[in-house]
Amino acid sequence: MLVNQFLILAALLFSLGVYGLLVRRNAVMVLLAVELMLNAVNINLIAFESLLQTELAVGQVFSIFVITVAAAEVGIGLAIILMIFRNRSSANVDDFNLMRL
Amino acid sequence: MGFEIDYLAIAPELILVATIVMVLVLDFVLPRRAKYFTAIASVLGVTFAALPLLILAVDGGSREMFDGSYTVDTFALVLKGLFIVAGYLVLLMSVSYIEGDRYYQGEYYFLILCSILGSLVMASSRDLIVLFIGLELTTAPLFMLAGWRKGDMKSNEASLKYYILGVLSTALMLFGMSLVFGLTGEVSFDGIREGIGDAAAGDASTALGLAVLLIIVGFGFKVSAVPFHFWAPDTYEGAPTPVTAYLSVNSKAAGFVGMLILMYLALPGASNYWAPALWIMAAASMTIGNLAALRQQNIVRLLAYSSIAQAGFMLVPFAAAAVSGTDLSEAFSATVVYLVIYSIMNLGAFAVVIAGARKTGTGDIDGWAGLGSYDARLGVLAAVFFFSLAGIPPLAGWFAKFVMFRSVMIAGGVSTVALAVIAAVNSVIAFYYYARVVKSIWLDGAPATALGDRADTPAGSLRLALIIAGVLTVLVGIYPTLASVFGDASRVLAAG
Amino acid sequence: MNLGDWISQPVNWVFTLLALASAYSGVRVVTSQNVIRAALFLVGALASSAGLFLLLSAEFVALTLVLVYIGAVIVLFLFGIMITRAPLGRDVALDHKRRAPAAITSIILFAVLSWASIRAFAGREVTGVGDATDTRLLGEALLGRFVVPFEVVSFLLLAALIGGITLARKDLSPAEEEAREAT
Repeated sequence: MLVNQFLILAALLFSLGVYGLLVRRNAVMVLLAVELMLNAVNINLIAFESLLQTELAVGQVFSIFVITVAAAEVGIGLAIILMIFRNRSSANVDDFNLMRL
Repeated sequence: MGFEIDYLAIAPELILVATIVMVLVLDFVLPRRAKYFTAIASVLGVTFAALPLLILAVDGGSREMFDGSYTVDTFALVLKGLFIVAGYLVLLMSVSYIEGDRYYQGEYYFLILCSILGSLVMASSRDLIVLFIGLELTTAPLFMLAGWRKGDMKSNEASLKYYILGVLSTALMLFGMSLVFGLTGEVSFDGIREGIGDAAAGDASTALGLAVLLIIVGFGFKVSAVPFHFWAPDTYEGAPTPVTAYLSVNSKAAGFVGMLILMYLALPGASNYWAPALWIMAAASMTIGNLAALRQQNIVRLLAYSSIAQAGFMLVPFAAAAVSGTDLSEAFSATVVYLVIYSIMNLGAFAVVIAGARKTGTGDIDGWAGLGSYDARLGVLAAVFFFSLAGIPPLAGWFAKFVMFRSVMIAGGVSTVALAVIAAVNSVIAFYYYARVVKSIWLDGAPATALGDRADTPAGSLRLALIIAGVLTVLVGIYPTLASVFGDASRVLAAG
Repeated sequence: MNLGDWISQPVNWVFTLLALASAYSGVRVVTSQNVIRAALFLVGALASSAGLFLLLSAEFVALTLVLVYIGAVIVLFLFGIMITRAPLGRDVALDHKRRAPAAITSIILFAVLSWASIRAFAGREVTGVGDATDTRLLGEALLGRFVVPFEVVSFLLLAALIGGITLARKDLSPAEEEAREAT
């Protein structure tokens, strides 16, 4: 197995995540897209670890931290979305004018 | 395989951890009326956390743990001191603001303390993983604190915006970091620095450039540098004001520190990629931040844009030195001096905003007209902090600007001079809008109908915060050596 | 390595299957007009990544991904979607109108990223199945060299827990709070 086949898949998932981030209006959907990007990071890390075989399996350790942080952030995000929903019964990012300068 | 743990070196973090746990327990056992004890516990805990810093500073030297991935040297101590003092001021500003039923005091202080802990960890990080986790712990509690006024739609918006852009910047930064790991096989800064030479030379240069750019973009969001700044004004306006103060000082400083140590310690070999990016970010942040600040009517939004512009000024020394290829140690010390002075005067400005908002009952600059006529002391303090932000001697801000320009002059070169010219023009523009606030306070007549309580006296804790920030701003302006000590101390990092 | 050699390795067939599943799910996550479906397609993308991790002999991470992500995070997502009564059926208003610029941006990003990695890592092979990473090694790394981030991340989780509850809980009026405390 070449390392590039994994890296290109990761690049694809990352770019899909960016696409989702740009087009989605719903906050939950934006979060899903970000999860896709973080998953691409994990694929990268694991593939590199398998390529480099570091002494402490640093790549795998890193990806465990990424998974943990992502889980914590999803919890935070859903709490925020829930709070907003209580106030206005909508979870659309666009109702908040995200790009106002 | 065992690791020696130097407990004195991590004593500030340990004291903070103990405080965090104590605040949680207190919040659990105290009746509603006595919740303010959590505030006292937090303030005391942060004060105690500063003591080991002094011992370590007197002791000197560099203490490394865990294969050097966690290092306590004078540079880390200076920044930890900055984070603790700034955190202390924010806590003092919070006490009177957060008191009241709807604010969940215990949880509020818990989250602020967690964020301070994150920034302390980050100041010592010499490793991608420690840096990443420290940065996340610094920012993640703030996503929630920005929305702490739960019923307020603007606060909700602030929280959601900050959260989505925070998570996005994390994802971008992590992708960049994963590429750096893949190219060097290391996560420690030392290992990356040694491994990066080969990567920069051969076929891997494209990947390295992309990795560096992704990391810079990620940090650009965290420090709200143009063009990644659009979340900042809305978030600053919507969040509770003490949280805004924290966002504009601690979390911004943490982002800066993370970016600088990563670029300087791990990626100096890739400076041909990040130096131009920093140059552009510096120039754009100063210009766009200032131009937008000119149009603002709301004082918090004005401070938001001013902090974007100040971030641009802070980037100048580093960008200039890196672009011209000179030694970065001078730039490092200039940035640290700027960061320290900016933190103090900006916190002072926010403390004035909190006190003034109660008196005037509005956040509009026009509504602040005549504040000096019915509260001279607050008016004077406002003038001190805003003129200091504008960089007028003999207030601390002039020295920040001075070291910034001095380091640019040392660097030399055409692109550097161009940056210096942009910075100089922007300093003049900035003076205009800072002075507008002071003019409104002192020269305009007070509106006939008072929206707020003009006789309101700020709570003791807020007054203490105002006094500390005011004294430091004046003192550093008169005796600039006080601040340059910090800058010189941070040079240790550059030397080692 | 030429194409014939590549195809002759059975592990590459497995990779191709998983990669296709992952890519398809990924596309559906960002294009599906139904929130629940998008969340379930994320399960597909993550499950195939877990499969890839197994191919790369990262068993522990693969299982963590399944347990933490598919077991907990997706369930959290589904709860979030249902509680906030996000649009459940087909909903055209989920996307912006401006899809073309976004698509072009991400295609360019993909092209640049893949070109960079093809240049940097051409021909280098990974260690595949059968050479499992010792989980003990991971444990020792987490509690040895990486014990600082390991402990610090626990505070991140605690902060997320407590802050999340505070934000998401329904506020009682002060009188109700007093009454609750009295009991």
